[in-house]
Amino acid sequence: MAELTINGQSYFTDSPPDTPLLWVIREDLRLTGTKYGCGVGLCGSCTVHINGEAVRSCRMPLGDVSGDALITTIEGLHPANAHPVQKAWIEHQVPQCGYCQSGQIMQAAAFLARNPTPSHEQIVDAMNGNLCRCATYGRIPDAVARAAELMKEDSSNV
Amino acid sequence: MSKRPARSTDSAAPARPGRREFFVRSSMLAAGGFLSIGVPGLLRSTDAEAAMGTPAFTPSIWFTITPDGRTTMHIVKAEMGQHIGTGLAQVIADELEVNWDDVRLDSPLESVDNFAIYGLAYTVNSGSVTTEFDRISRAGAAGRIALIEAGSGLLGARASDCHAANSHVIHPASGRSISYGEILQKVRIDRKFSYPDDFRKIPVKPRSAYKIIGKSIPALDIPAKTCGQAKYGIDMFLPNMLYGALVIPRSRYGSKVLSVDDSEARKIPGFVKAVTINDAMGKCTGWVVALAEKFPAAMKAASALKVSYDPGPYGSLSTSDMMEEFSELVKNVDAGANWVLEGDVDQALAEADKVLEMEYTTDSVVHATMEPLNATVQYANDEWHVYVGTQSTSFARMTLSAYLSKVLNKKPEDLKIFVHQYLVGGGFGGKQDYDEILAAAYCVHESGRPVKLIQTRESNFATSFPRTPTLHRLKAAVKDGELVGMNHDLACGWMGPRFYVGKKYGTDWLQLDSWDKKKVDIDQWSIGGSDHWYDIPNHRVRAWDSDRTTWAIQASALRTVSNSYNMFVVESFMDEVAHSLGRDPVDFRLDILNGKGGNRGIPNTGYSPGTGSDYYMDHLWISLPWGKDGTWIPYESATVGGALRLANCLRVAAGKAGWGKRMAPNTGMGVAVSSAEERQSPTWVAGVAEVEVDPGSGQVRVKRLTIAMDMGTAVNPGNIKAQIQGSALWGTSQFLHEKLTTRNGSFEQHNFDTYRTIRLHEVPEINVELIESGHHPSGVGEPASTVAAPAIANAIFNAVGVRVRSMPMRPEDILAGMRKT
Repeated sequence: MAELTINGQSYFTDSPPDTPLLWVIREDLRLTGTKYGCGVGLCGSCTVHINGEAVRSCRMPLGDVSGDALITTIEGLHPANAHPVQKAWIEHQVPQCGYCQSGQIMQAAAFLARNPTPSHEQIVDAMNGNLCRCATYGRIPDAVARAAELMKEDSSNV
Repeated sequence: MSKRPARSTDSAAPARPGRREFFVRSSMLAAGGFLSIGVPGLLRSTDAEAAMGTPAFTPSIWFTITPDGRTTMHIVKAEMGQHIGTGLAQVIADELEVNWDDVRLDSPLESVDNFAIYGLAYTVNSGSVTTEFDRISRAGAAGRIALIEAGSGLLGARASDCHAANSHVIHPASGRSISYGEILQKVRIDRKFSYPDDFRKIPVKPRSAYKIIGKSIPALDIPAKTCGQAKYGIDMFLPNMLYGALVIPRSRYGSKVLSVDDSEARKIPGFVKAVTINDAMGKCTGWVVALAEKFPAAMKAASALKVSYDPGPYGSLSTSDMMEEFSELVKNVDAGANWVLEGDVDQALAEADKVLEMEYTTDSVVHATMEPLNATVQYANDEWHVYVGTQSTSFARMTLSAYLSKVLNKKPEDLKIFVHQYLVGGGFGGKQDYDEILAAAYCVHESGRPVKLIQTRESNFATSFPRTPTLHRLKAAVKDGELVGMNHDLACGWMGPRFYVGKKYGTDWLQLDSWDKKKVDIDQWSIGGSDHWYDIPNHRVRAWDSDRTTWAIQASALRTVSNSYNMFVVESFMDEVAHSLGRDPVDFRLDILNGKGGNRGIPNTGYSPGTGSDYYMDHLWISLPWGKDGTWIPYESATVGGALRLANCLRVAAGKAGWGKRMAPNTGMGVAVSSAEERQSPTWVAGVAEVEVDPGSGQVRVKRLTIAMDMGTAVNPGNIKAQIQGSALWGTSQFLHEKLTTRNGSFEQHNFDTYRTIRLHEVPEINVELIESGHHPSGVGEPASTVAAPAIANAIFNAVGVRVRSMPMRPEDILAGMRKT
């Protein structure tokens, strides 16, 4: 039994503590933007933020999520779905089937929050754990770099 | 039907009126009739329409314009990453002269009635734009004509003095205009076009007049995929539903459940029951599904169930047994079925100055779509509803109908089945089997509640439908410095006999004189691609089928089907021949891509409709340039131009890649051409790979891929580039890593740790050149995947002198080869 704060909204779940956070988010709370891909942390489709860190929610038991953790899913990344990463993803037309893309975007957003001026190698390293069978890989590093640019523009406009 | 409007992506959109009667008249796909452009109220009123007051304008099965000016394109094709809805809508919108901002998409519901309207909903063979382009162009133009006629009347002008643009009918002389929405609010349109006579005469735009076709318009499905709002089959919920998780069966196929002990599972809170799936259709064999209130409990219960099995007929079969059988099969020369038979290969080999003889093998690979297979099924009010992202809602419905009629002992016509299409989280040929739907439906039958069955990644691998392993023996006859003969012997599991449930397609379908008509049971989908476009006077392809391989692994279609191995083999072998002749591999290919004889392609002979239901079958499934009755289908054959278009691609790719430039040690370039998907539906493509081989480890780094593709007409160039980039990496991944092996009737790889796929750090620079030759558009979603592997293999040879003859490559083989050379 646990209270969870997801995207600024509080939730209650009666799932047992060994339940992977992924299934609570997806199937109990119906925030279905977070996807099941492999269940063992190999593909990154289930990536969410816990206190700003990118976490594979399929490997995070409910019991390990502290009561005051702030969880963000793709639905809560930006109030108008206009996070620089989301904007860059549309600008570069990254998604094909789209199934892995919530995880890709959440991974990129957490990475850029820590490293707003990444090199190409750092981008590749940060995104390497996220699988995409459509192989949209050719566009991902460019889109992450573009998101970094957009973040810079946003901050200079403040 | 009339009580079931198609699902709309916009809940505010009014329900679509029924069009049964409309369809009867507009049954252009059956016997001749009328394409009726009119207010549906005149055809058949519906409650929804009556309540609406203002009738919608529904000129065809392809789109609906509502009086608010919105135009909803009805997309029967599955959206699985190719952004097909956007592409098809672009074609309609261009002729219809509709403002792109007014365009919406929806997916028609699959049912018996809607099947009669929309035809077969099946997305395969990279064929959607190719098969739809002509008729949706004319349908869009028909809508424009009717709107101009109606709008000009409202403007007090002659139709011939008006034109349409931007969702308006415009009368330039007076400067007045009226929007499509206003027209529909004010008048009823009743316009009929006879089919095929009027329909075929509807003028379509010349390329120079395109406004929307040819533009890289952002895909309509992408924004929802960046914010978690896109809905896939796995995202479906129904009130009171149970979850199902599959126990991995003893064998991939053919095991029988002897007993199920649920004593441990019953201790898991939320566990409801274990269901042994009825395998009445020879599908879901050995399947036990754990049902629970929540999915984590279902997974736990599936692990806790103790199931004992009879492993069945394939329970001891391993990949090595299959390969051994292939080796035995090809020894029995007389039993091979001739797929290509031109000239006299045996004589050419006997009289050759030199014979080159090589063996190639490829392993099984699997789709491993990021969205695992799943299905949600509901039974209510005597109706079965299926919610799924599938490549064919039609076959899903038909398969479930056949299954339930056996299980429930009912007549198929007494079963009401509806399939609701959702986004497909990766297809690649892997979402055209329906086992999850059957199993979920059986669980509904057993539990009395709706069921969402989700394959775990592990059970998804274990019950997947992979590509067959293959064995190839090739011989080349060289005389006077020319390649005069080629023999290609190929043994593998044939997917056709399994895939098409007992229906075998024979060579009589192909109607090519060089084919051996005595052998009627050749599976095109397992052999195709070996029938390449090189001019070789004596050419033979012989094929052998290992039936037990087919059934043991449930061999199936995977992106480009047999092209994915045959292009690797043919293009690697052609490279070997070129090198053995001391010829440059590009020059050598250009010489024999000369468009002579049968390789000239089929010239365009103009428009004529196909007839009857076979029309769909013919052009959807194998894209034959003729109907079975000999009539021409309404678009230019994709083969027009033949090998000369392929040669052109090769020149472009080689030029762009800098073919012939000096390379550093342990680096090299390699080239390959391909005409996937089938010989009847080629998209011409050439690729050049640049690689670097690590002399210490044999590891290969692909540095650059250059792809040149002639797809005739590029509807959305930006999206085509995305498809080429992704498919080129798909082929690269297969060559570098992908391998599914069978041991004692089961697959050995169950997740992405053991089944390796390409990751971001291995991605090369990819340069894409689109060649718009102006011909009818051909498919772009798959072909580039077939040039990557052979181009990389040929580059490895040029880098370090080691020939890779099995796929995937193994660094240790390359290292061993380097030590030898």
